[in-house]
Amino acid sequence: MGLLDGKVSLVTAAGGGIAGAIARRFAAEGAKVCCVDINENTVNQTVTDIEKEGGTAIAKICNVASETEAKTCVNETASIFGKLEVVVNAAAASEPLHTVADMPIEVWQEVLDVNITGMFLIAKHAIPHMQVAGGGQFINISSTFGHIAWPQRPAYMATKGAVRQLTKSIALDFASDNIRANSILPGAIETNRLLARTPTMEKVRERMVPLHPIGRLGQPEDIANAAAFLASDQSSFMTGTDVFVDGGFTAI
Amino acid sequence: MGRLDGKVAFVTASGGAIAGATARLFGKEGAAVCCVDIVEENVKQTASDINAAGGNAMALKCDVTDDDAVKTAVKKTVTEFGKLNVCFNAAAYSEKRHRLAEMPLDMWKNVIDVNLTGMFIVARHVIPEMQTTGGGSIINVSSIYGVVGAKERPAYCAAKGGVRMLSKSIAVDYAADNIRANSIMPGPIETPRLLARNPSIEAVIERHGTRLHQKRLGKPEEIAQTALFLASDDASFTSGADMVVDAAYTAF
Repeated sequence: MGLLDGKVSLVTAAGGGIAGAIARRFAAEGAKVCCVDINENTVNQTVTDIEKEGGTAIAKICNVASETEAKTCVNETASIFGKLEVVVNAAAASEPLHTVADMPIEVWQEVLDVNITGMFLIAKHAIPHMQVAGGGQFINISSTFGHIAWPQRPAYMATKGAVRQLTKSIALDFASDNIRANSILPGAIETNRLLARTPTMEKVRERMVPLHPIGRLGQPEDIANAAAFLASDQSSFMTGTDVFVDGGFTAI
Repeated sequence: MGRLDGKVAFVTASGGAIAGATARLFGKEGAAVCCVDIVEENVKQTASDINAAGGNAMALKCDVTDDDAVKTAVKKTVTEFGKLNVCFNAAAYSEKRHRLAEMPLDMWKNVIDVNLTGMFIVARHVIPEMQTTGGGSIINVSSIYGVVGAKERPAYCAAKGGVRMLSKSIAVDYAADNIRANSIMPGPIETPRLLARNPSIEAVIERHGTRLHQKRLGKPEEIAQTALFLASDDASFTSGADMVVDAAYTAF
């Protein structure tokens, strides 16, 4: 008996490290999963992995920042699986390091479009399906950098702060529709993205582990654990909240 | 002896109530003030009031979402006053109440553009001038709705949450340049804008109920006083902070 038996979910960025782990976990817990990504190869791999374990998944290629694509992707999911209740919004752009004064406007705008407007668009088109289904859960991936600062990430930080607030807005406005919305704020998680500016994971750990009371960096499964809990009925009294999964990074 | 003697301030939205009160107070405390707004006649009035009271002010019409216009406005400020060391970023508006699923994309984009991207644009042009001046204080007006959710204002909440984190990003990246950046989170403030959207002050007070612990709205001058502290050298160890000015609204 899975935690998410009978549920239908849509997971953006499911070709990536964190959301890929979430998609796999949801499927393992009995949910049907629409895996969404802008990258065809990686998202097809996630679907293949899920099916190999006996789960049910489909892949959709979609740029969440496009209203047409977001709407089509959400509606087709509900049409194929008969309903839609759980949405994990994890699509996030990865921009080069910049400070405010040297960041081109185009880079700023792209990060905003993907990280926050994309989340708005997916939510906008998913909400009516959740209302029809009698309820739903949004799990929006923010970041510890939606709460505290880190050098040279102004657009990323601004959008991750916005994600927390958008989540609370949804929680407030749609509580009476039995729709819950919560943010997860991951700390440093060992995925390819963490290697964007450092050659090896060993070097990343050297720098980052001392900042984590728990003594290690996170794994994608740590975030998947929290997402499964938030998607399930076990968290039925939780909405509008920020779930930090960061090994104590923000506690010190 | 004014608390801002010798300083030069750039104040956006200073044709409005909160930033207008702030510009006037800055002028009274000895700062030269460039008053900027998208509505020319309102901001000319603010500058005129400052000059009439013995201060030193100029007025410029400027749309904070227009990168070239902001660049020009900042350059004119430095040409006129010789330097720039304080920036009060207050340009903002809230969408009319909309549940997220019924919000047009254009409306979302415009709120994000004015409230968040506009602050990024102003910051990117004032920062180099502050570096030349040897330091500065950037004060960004967020909102209690950058910390808690508001009903039917998803774009405003997202933008104000983004502002909070943008301030922290600037604080971290430019500390070595002696530039401080902080957010103010006002609670409900009595302004013409608020009154235009509501039948009366009493109706607003009643709507907020038990969370308005002083049973009154805040005054623009009370936000201006917080801004004065942050702009002054008294706040020399305050950076990356959230100054919540809400009479315990969010503490409850």
